[in-house]
Amino acid sequence: MSRDTEHGPGERRGLDRRDMLKGLAGAAALSAIPHAASAQTAKEAPALAKLAAEGKLPPLAERVSANPLVIAVEKVGRYGGSLRRGLRGSSDHNGILRMVGNQGLVRWNLAFTEVLPNVADKWEVNPNSTEFTFYLRKGMKWSDGKPFTADDIVFSIEDCAKNTELYKSPPSPIVISGQAGTATKIDETTVKFTFASPYALFLEQMATPLGQHPTLFAKHYCSQFHPKYNPGVADLVKAANLSDWGTLFRNKCGDIEIPSRWGNADKPTLDPWVIKEPYTGGATRVVMERNPYFWQVDSVGNQLPYIDRLTFSISQDVESLMLDAISGRLDIQERHLDTLQNKPTLSQNMQKGGYRLIELVNSSSQQVQIYLNMTHKDAKMREMFANKEFRKALSLGMNRKEIIDLVYLGQSEPHQTGPRPGHPWYHEGLSKQFTDFDPGQANAILDKLGYAKKDAGGIRLRPDGQKVFFAIDVIPTLYPDEVDALELVKRHWAEIGVDIKVNTIERALYYTRGDNNDHDAAVWPGPGGLDPMLDPRDYLAQHTQGSRYAIPWAQWYVSSGKDGQEPPESQKQRMKLYDQARATADLQKRGEIMKQVFDLTADAFETIGICLAVNAFGICKNNLQNVPPKYPNAWSWPNPGPALPQQFFFAT
Amino acid sequence: MLRFIVKRLLWMVPSLIVVSFLAFVLIQLPPGDFVTTYIATLAASNEVVDQNTAADLRVRFGLDQPMIVQYFKWISGIVLRGDFGLSFEWQQPVSDLIWERMALTLVLTFSTLLATWGIALPIGVFSAVKKYSIGDYIVTFFSFLGLAIPSFLLALVLMYVAAVEFGQEVGGLFSEQYLTAPWSIGKVIDLLQHLWIPVIILAVSGTASLIRVMRANMLDELNRPYVTTARAKGLSEFHLLVKYPVRLALNPFISTISWLLPNLVSGSIIVAIVLSLPTAGPLLLQSLMSQDMYLAGAFVLLICALTLIGSLISDILLALVDPRIRLE
Repeated sequence: MSRDTEHGPGERRGLDRRDMLKGLAGAAALSAIPHAASAQTAKEAPALAKLAAEGKLPPLAERVSANPLVIAVEKVGRYGGSLRRGLRGSSDHNGILRMVGNQGLVRWNLAFTEVLPNVADKWEVNPNSTEFTFYLRKGMKWSDGKPFTADDIVFSIEDCAKNTELYKSPPSPIVISGQAGTATKIDETTVKFTFASPYALFLEQMATPLGQHPTLFAKHYCSQFHPKYNPGVADLVKAANLSDWGTLFRNKCGDIEIPSRWGNADKPTLDPWVIKEPYTGGATRVVMERNPYFWQVDSVGNQLPYIDRLTFSISQDVESLMLDAISGRLDIQERHLDTLQNKPTLSQNMQKGGYRLIELVNSSSQQVQIYLNMTHKDAKMREMFANKEFRKALSLGMNRKEIIDLVYLGQSEPHQTGPRPGHPWYHEGLSKQFTDFDPGQANAILDKLGYAKKDAGGIRLRPDGQKVFFAIDVIPTLYPDEVDALELVKRHWAEIGVDIKVNTIERALYYTRGDNNDHDAAVWPGPGGLDPMLDPRDYLAQHTQGSRYAIPWAQWYVSSGKDGQEPPESQKQRMKLYDQARATADLQKRGEIMKQVFDLTADAFETIGICLAVNAFGICKNNLQNVPPKYPNAWSWPNPGPALPQQFFFAT
Repeated sequence: MLRFIVKRLLWMVPSLIVVSFLAFVLIQLPPGDFVTTYIATLAASNEVVDQNTAADLRVRFGLDQPMIVQYFKWISGIVLRGDFGLSFEWQQPVSDLIWERMALTLVLTFSTLLATWGIALPIGVFSAVKKYSIGDYIVTFFSFLGLAIPSFLLALVLMYVAAVEFGQEVGGLFSEQYLTAPWSIGKVIDLLQHLWIPVIILAVSGTASLIRVMRANMLDELNRPYVTTARAKGLSEFHLLVKYPVRLALNPFISTISWLLPNLVSGSIIVAIVLSLPTAGPLLLQSLMSQDMYLAGAFVLLICALTLIGSLISDILLALVDPRIRLE
């Protein structure tokens, strides 16, 4: 599997997901502004050209690599301008990551279906997917002008990610079957990753934010904080008044998702913009300026990015972010604004704010996934939840149409879980089973299960005399819509004699209850709609925080049977199949294996879903060009990053 | 007097120790810890923390140790080295984060205090002296209105009107060009130009309640025999008012100074959040929500210290102002 340029014909095998997101693929074609910038002759931003002419910067040819990544832009842009976005005060570092920090070895295409060259110009994979050879770009530079080579990648993996003083256990994306891969330098621009067992999903993992470790640390800079390269590091630690070199290293070089990644303006990066005013505890804004050594050009050879600088204002309060949006002080923003409740306000003020709405395809499958705890600590509850017939009755007993109409303004359809409609792996049985509203059948099933006796309030009684009652944990501050949906479900289920408590709790408590397996049931939006391989937690118990219907099973799987509880046969089969799929590079074959997983998931029917996850939206200033009108909204596809903000530009 | 002050100062040490321990325990009481909150916060945007990393974080931050051990590590750092520890969230020393924000908070609160007193005291005196006059009713009406409107709502409305109707940016304490500039005359002027908005918003509710307090106190004093005596002796009305009843009516204000100092930090949090002010409040709230223990602990400790200092100041002032109060 190797690809030279991103717009090469690229014959794709078997599973072509182009149909799925037609709007995405042809995204830029919808732009209505005529081609304006054809007179463009400059090859670099005027400010940089001036510096180069004065001899303060090397000429452009020495700054970009000999074979820079050529981005097939919809329109050739013009240089200049400052792009404004908003961050929230706390833990919003990923708001920056999503915009600029997308420079892994490989990247996603716009449709979230295929991996494209990025830092790596091309790559080769051996037949059993245990060896990946990446060819880097000749003459590529870090943002401080120092060469970027295979040494940097080997340093980042071997000396940092696999260093137990820095990472107690190596980051999961470079681990398969409990063993971390090895990075070896072949020559200056060639590096090879070797794994002990087949790991076909490695390329996809490298395209996600968590797969950025190989290109995260510049050896010439970060090695000065590493005891292997600098014996005097203890003095630096002392001078900085810190406890150990790991803390110092993180302070200076950051990590993928911690604020200090954006807290040091001296750190060299490969990003299109580099930090000028850092993101620190006291900051009220973050400013980034263009990287003069950025290694991507547009289709006529202009160095990217087009936009001079990014300004992130930091608001403590989402309402003030909304005010910024409707008064036109944000250029592109979806983060924090994209709730359904905000949509009417933002639509109304489009003209006043001078922006348009862009559609974000939800990567999740499910809007409200109900997880009954099938490993409940109480044996009676466990028995009740573990019975498929019981879950089926609950599913048949809810009026999905009413929930969709009232809570989601009609913008969804009844759905259980599974890849989204239009996805090549869409599984009708998994997604549509038991979604009819049939209280009669639900009642019949519950009667048959031995819950026929009712108390004075019409609630069914278990054979031991207890009411059929459980609590569903939900986080109101995070997902107010889920609370509304559950209130309706409570009414529907009361009709069939099942009582629930909508247990609104704070989010740290929600997690703690999950971690301790203390919950009866919980809700969460179910992932895996566009990214079933990357987040299959609802198809098999694989995520120790997310597979809330049986966290101990997930612990069993993750620890290879050392912790947690042994899951039933169907789960074990799926775990085996998923491991197999992860090792299969051929998309066709992988799809066939995953089909078996979905069959088993449908048959086991562990989670109860309500409706298909509703698409989100964002705002984009009218004069901001080259922005696709529709793109995925996901963490694995950290929007808008893979839509390449470096090729956005301001039309005058 | 000096002996009294020294004794009070010495008492502060054990008080602070007890308080620091209680604060630490309280911050830890909510379920979960910083790592849980961190994971939960990221999950709110559907972002995922690498599961290996999460386990790592707990060990790195010492969250796997018993609370008492964590407390002693923290407090001994403060006492022995003046080191408030490292903020989990920002990986920066806590002291770097706190001081600049505290300075701006002091500026904001003292300006608000001056504005509040400057408006409330004369009006309170006026409405007591001219009891049940038209003027009194008008003032009373507006002060109740001010009391009833939550300051954050006022801030939101002001921001909305400014942003949507006038295209003005309200919020923050500095203009764009001075945000990160070093301190200069220009920056101070810029600060003053921005300061009056939060000061007015914060002063509105404070003024209203102070007017009522002042009015009530004055009414108590105005009928006292000493007022009648003074008046009979031919003292001018203004001189009389200021010299005796006003002075005594101020008594409750002075005794509330001890609440005032901690209010510096915690009183204006919501307004500061709405207006994006770079003061201590939002950072305190943030650190409490993310269970960033050392940062939150330092703030709580600071607030407690301020309360203790404040009550000392108010005791001293009371003794000076009110001859009826004796220290021994």
